[in-house]
Amino acid sequence: MMDFFRRRKNKYISLVLLLCLIILLLAGCWDRTEVNDLAIILATGVDISKNKEIELSVQVFIPKPAEGGQQGGVSSGSTSSQTLVRSAEGVTIADAMSRLQEKLTRRIFWGQNEVLIIGEKLAKKGIGDQIDFWMGHTDPRERADVFVSMDSAKEVLESMPELERDAAKQLSKLVDSQIGVKVTVKDLSEMLTGDSSAAVIPWVAKMSPSNLEVNEGKNIPFIKGSAVLKGDKMVGRLSDKESRGILWPRNEMKSGIITISLKDEKGFVSLNLLRSHNQLIPKISNGNWSIMVKTDTDLEVIQNTTNLNLLNLKSSKKVKRMVVQEIEERERLTLSKARKKMNADIFGFAGAFHRDYPGTWKRKKNEWSEIFRKVDVTFDTKVNIRRTGLSNEKAKKGGGE
Amino acid sequence: MIEKGKISSFQMALIMYAVVVATAILYIPFITAQQAKRDLWLSPLWAALSGFLIVLIITKLYKLYPKKTLVEYSELILGRTFGKIIGFIFLFFLLYDTAIAFREYGEFVESAFLHKTPIVVVTGGIALTCAFAVHGGIEVLGRSATVFLPIVLVLYVMIYLFLIPDLNVKNIFPIMEDGWIPSVKGSLAPHAWLSQFSLLSFLLPLLSDETKAMKWSILSVIVSVLTMVYINLGNIFLFGGIITNTQFPVFQAARYISIGSFFEHVESIVIAVWVLGGFVQLSAFFYMLVLGTSQWLKLPSYKPIILPFGFLIILFSIWSASSFQEMIHSMGTTTPFYFISIQLLIPMLLLCVAVFRKKLRQAK
Repeated sequence: MMDFFRRRKNKYISLVLLLCLIILLLAGCWDRTEVNDLAIILATGVDISKNKEIELSVQVFIPKPAEGGQQGGVSSGSTSSQTLVRSAEGVTIADAMSRLQEKLTRRIFWGQNEVLIIGEKLAKKGIGDQIDFWMGHTDPRERADVFVSMDSAKEVLESMPELERDAAKQLSKLVDSQIGVKVTVKDLSEMLTGDSSAAVIPWVAKMSPSNLEVNEGKNIPFIKGSAVLKGDKMVGRLSDKESRGILWPRNEMKSGIITISLKDEKGFVSLNLLRSHNQLIPKISNGNWSIMVKTDTDLEVIQNTTNLNLLNLKSSKKVKRMVVQEIEERERLTLSKARKKMNADIFGFAGAFHRDYPGTWKRKKNEWSEIFRKVDVTFDTKVNIRRTGLSNEKAKKGGGE
Repeated sequence: MIEKGKISSFQMALIMYAVVVATAILYIPFITAQQAKRDLWLSPLWAALSGFLIVLIITKLYKLYPKKTLVEYSELILGRTFGKIIGFIFLFFLLYDTAIAFREYGEFVESAFLHKTPIVVVTGGIALTCAFAVHGGIEVLGRSATVFLPIVLVLYVMIYLFLIPDLNVKNIFPIMEDGWIPSVKGSLAPHAWLSQFSLLSFLLPLLSDETKAMKWSILSVIVSVLTMVYINLGNIFLFGGIITNTQFPVFQAARYISIGSFFEHVESIVIAVWVLGGFVQLSAFFYMLVLGTSQWLKLPSYKPIILPFGFLIILFSIWSASSFQEMIHSMGTTTPFYFISIQLLIPMLLLCVAVFRKKLRQAK
C-alpha cells in the first residue's frame, strides 16, 4: 500500500517537472515572422543598369485593408495602387538583394513571387547566372513565369494594368491563357541546359491604356510574340504569328483560332482548335539528317462566311486541305526564321535526335549548330473537323452549292 | 528476453520500409543522378539485389538461431571474444548509421525551413520524441508505423500525381545511353540504403507470426525499391536534364505543385507528413541501437540507456560530417562501402561460420 502511494507521489512530481519544461517552449517564438514583418514580393525584374551592374527591381505588395464604407461605389482602385516598386543595384543578384533590403523596412519574402521579368539588354548579355540564382536559392519558387521585356523590367513593374490588380497578375494571367508560350524558371533552366540549349520566352511589350485622360503615361504590359535565346543570350525575336508556329512542333498548342480563305470561294472559315498532338520523328540515313513534324489536330468550325456547306464531305475536304496548308505554312515560317536568322534550335530537334539516335548524337553533338541548318524538315499534318457548329443555314440569301 | 512486446510481420515490414525509404527519397535521387544521369530510375533496381541477399542471409541465420538477434548469435557462432568484437563493430556501425539518419533529417529540415535554427535543436527535438517512443517499446513502434506510414505512402504517390500536367515522359529517353555502367555506379547509394535490411535481425525475434516473416520482409524490400523507382521516375519526368543539380528534388517537386492556382505552396504539408515517416525511421534506428547494446552488455532492461544513447546519437550526428556538402559527398563515395561492408559482410561471415560449424557437428 505504501509502495503504491509512493509511486503515485513520484508520478505527481515528475508531472509537475514536465509541466515546468513546457515553459521552455514559450521561447519558441523568438524568430517568428509575422505578415507585417514581411515585404511580400509579387514580381521581380532584373535589368542591367547604366553602371553595368545588375539592377534588381521588386514589386512589393502593400497589405492594406479593403477600403470600407465604399461598397457599391465606383471603383477607385485604379488610382490607389496596392503595390510599390523598389530597385537596387549590385554586382550580382544576391548583392543587389542585400542593397534592396536596406531600402525596405520589412524582410524580403520571395515565397509569393510569381513573375520574373528580364530586361532586353540583360537578356542579350546572358541570363545564365540569374537563372542559376533562381534555381539555387531556397526562397524563390521554380514555378515563377519568366518574361523578357522590351523596356526595362522596372518600367514594366511600374505599369498599371486596367483589369488586373498589378503588372504581376496581368502577365501571369496572360500566359495562363495558353495562347502563347509559357515558360517557368524550371523550364527555362531545363531548356538552356538541354541538348539544343535554346529557349523561347514570352516577350513583353506595352499597350497604351483605353482611358487616356485618367491613365496618361501609364502603359499596360502585354505579350507580343517571344524572345529567342541561344546559349543563355537573346539572339532574336519572333512575332506573334511566328510564336504560334513554334507551339505546334513543341506540342504546346492548346488553344487558338485558325482562319483560312479558300481559293475559289469568297469569305473565310474560322476554326477553333480543340486538341492537338504533335510528334517529332527524326531519321538519320546515309548521313542525311531529316525530321518529320507530325501533327494530329481536332478542330471545330465556329464561323463560316463562305457559301460552302461544310456538311458536304467534298467541301469539308477542301477546308481541311487549306487548314493543313495554313498550319504547315506557319510552322515553316517560324522554322526558316529560327534557322536562317538565329540558328537556334527552339523546336527541340536536338533532343529528338538524341533520344532516337544516341550513338550518332554523341559523335556529332559538337557539330549540331551546323547540322541544324541542314536538317531536312518535312511535315505530316492530319486535320479532323469534328463539328461544324449548330447551324448550317446562312442568314443571308443566295449561294448554296 | 529484454523486450516483452510482440509485433506482427506486417508491422515489421512497415518499420523496415520506414527505415529505408524515409531518408532515401530525399537524398537518393540527387546522389544517384550524379553518376546515372537520366538512368537514375534503374539504379534502385540494381540495389534490390543487396536487399534480397541480406534478407535471405538474415532469415537463414535466424532459422539457425531462433529467438536471437545478431548481437546475441555472433557470440554463439564465433565464441565469446570474437563474438563480442563483431557485436561491438556492428553496434558501433549502427550508432553511426543512426546518427547519420538523424543528421540527414536535421539537414533537410534546416535547408528547407529552419535556416537559422541550430541543427542540435532540430535533431535534439526529434531525438527526445523518439526517446519516448523507444521507451514505450516495440509495440508502440509497430503501432505508430501502422498509423503513420499509410499516410506517408499516399503522400509520396500524390506528389507526382498532382504534377502530371508538368511531367514529360520523353525525358527518360534514351535509356542506357552509355550502357548499364552509369546506372550501376549510381546504385551505390541505394545499395547502402537497402543494406540496412540487416537490421531485420533485431526485429525477427519479436514477431508473433514468424512463419510470415520471410514473405513480408521480401515484400518490404520490393515496395522500398518500387518507391525509389517511382520517386526517381517522377523526378526525371519533371526535372529532365537539371536533375543533376537539384539537391532535394522531392521537396522542389512539392513546391512545383500548382493546380488551378489555388492548390499550390503545399510543401509545408509535404514536410509535415514526411516528418511522420522520419519519426518512425529514427525511432526504429534508436530502438535497435539501445536493444542491441543492452543485449551486448547483458543488461536486464534497455530503458536506462535510452537517454544517454540519445545524447550520444546527437553528438555523433554532429561529428559525422562537418557540413552538408561533406555529408552528400561521403554518401556518394565512402559511406556506401562502409555500409555494405558492415551490413553485408558481417552477416555473410556469420552465416558461413554457422553453416560450417553445423556441418562439423553433424559429421561428428
